[in-house]
Amino acid sequence: MSEHWRERKEGGGRFAIWLISRIGLRCGRGVARLCLYPITIYFYFRRPYERRVSYAFFERIDGRRPGVGKVLRHIHRFAATLLDRVFLLAESKARFDVRMHGLDELIARMQPGRGVLLLGAHVGSFEVLRAATLGHPEVKLRVVLDTQKTPALTRLLHALNPEIGLGVIDASRPGSEIVLAMSEALAEGALVTLLADRVRDAERTVAVDFFGAQALLPIAPFALGGILDVPVVLCLGLYRGGNRYDLYFEPLADALPRARSERDGAVRALAQAYATRLEHHVRLDPCNWFNWHDFWNPQGGGVDRHEPAGQLAGSDARDAA
Amino acid sequence: MQTATSSSPGAQSPAESELAQLIVDSLNIDWIKADAIAPDAPLFGAGELGLDSIDALELALAISKRYGFQLRSDNPDNRQIFGSLRALSAHIETHRAAS
Repeated sequence: MSEHWRERKEGGGRFAIWLISRIGLRCGRGVARLCLYPITIYFYFRRPYERRVSYAFFERIDGRRPGVGKVLRHIHRFAATLLDRVFLLAESKARFDVRMHGLDELIARMQPGRGVLLLGAHVGSFEVLRAATLGHPEVKLRVVLDTQKTPALTRLLHALNPEIGLGVIDASRPGSEIVLAMSEALAEGALVTLLADRVRDAERTVAVDFFGAQALLPIAPFALGGILDVPVVLCLGLYRGGNRYDLYFEPLADALPRARSERDGAVRALAQAYATRLEHHVRLDPCNWFNWHDFWNPQGGGVDRHEPAGQLAGSDARDAA
Repeated sequence: MQTATSSSPGAQSPAESELAQLIVDSLNIDWIKADAIAPDAPLFGAGELGLDSIDALELALAISKRYGFQLRSDNPDNRQIFGSLRALSAHIETHRAAS
């Protein structure tokens, strides 16, 4: 595989995202959600790689090939959370039923001069967290986000709610600046959030057991808590269909060793704890898994990049295995 | 490299030598001696030192402790400042707390 996930084009493009958000804001979420059905079908046929990733993902976690319906539902869930990002930011969370879990444990760890590192993942919708803090100006939220990865969507969301743009730490900047920015925000008592399940180019990795196989996670998110002496809390916003979201906060570590000599073991243990809890939540509701690339084989070899010649879309299920 | 130092390309100035020792000590570097760090060689990425973002953070903390000033994430010259021992040393000498 020569194509890293960072180079994958944003699905749908700028016009489609603009169109669906206009429909949504003008005609309401209900009408926009009707558009998700044709969009799901379109995505299924036009994004064969992501489709095969979905088949392979369900086969890995269920031990058998999923039916077409399951993969369609997976895509539909993804499209629905993308659409909801517009509403979560434009209209606050009033229309959504967001159930919080572990909020007290998070609040207990927040101090004025010492923030909390929140580790998320590409599951469900992280936007629920941003929306949840919008009515609370006393809570400083900084989100590490690669604005170059989904430029159209990022521009749109920031246009809808400029307050959000200010809270972004741009992950397309050099790594040293990202960690310094995180350090500065944590020193101001901010909640600093980072999606810890994707490896950037040439980044050092740590191997974890995830759904019974080895997967690689980036080291930095699991080393930062120790270096900066802040608590690390898992944060997942999972979509449950309709207008329902569950937002989970689960403490992963409160005091990590500062010394370099003890760090490697602590980083491995923390990364594994993260992977174990992530697996728990994904197993309960797999359609929230939104890593549309071959998570277990980042260098390729797992899911075919290219459409096998002469095969109809949808009948290439075997190739994903 | 346009810095205030007038030393020859290969040799470390006293300030650079002190910073090189701080880098080696604070990051537990055992594959290169402090006095062997070339002043103009890249500190980060694919160089002899090959430091990463976590090293950058630790180095920033060590510099703050030793020299009493913070490297900032929003400095537009960061790329240059973190570019080499010489550039980083020059930046520190300009901004360090008066002692």
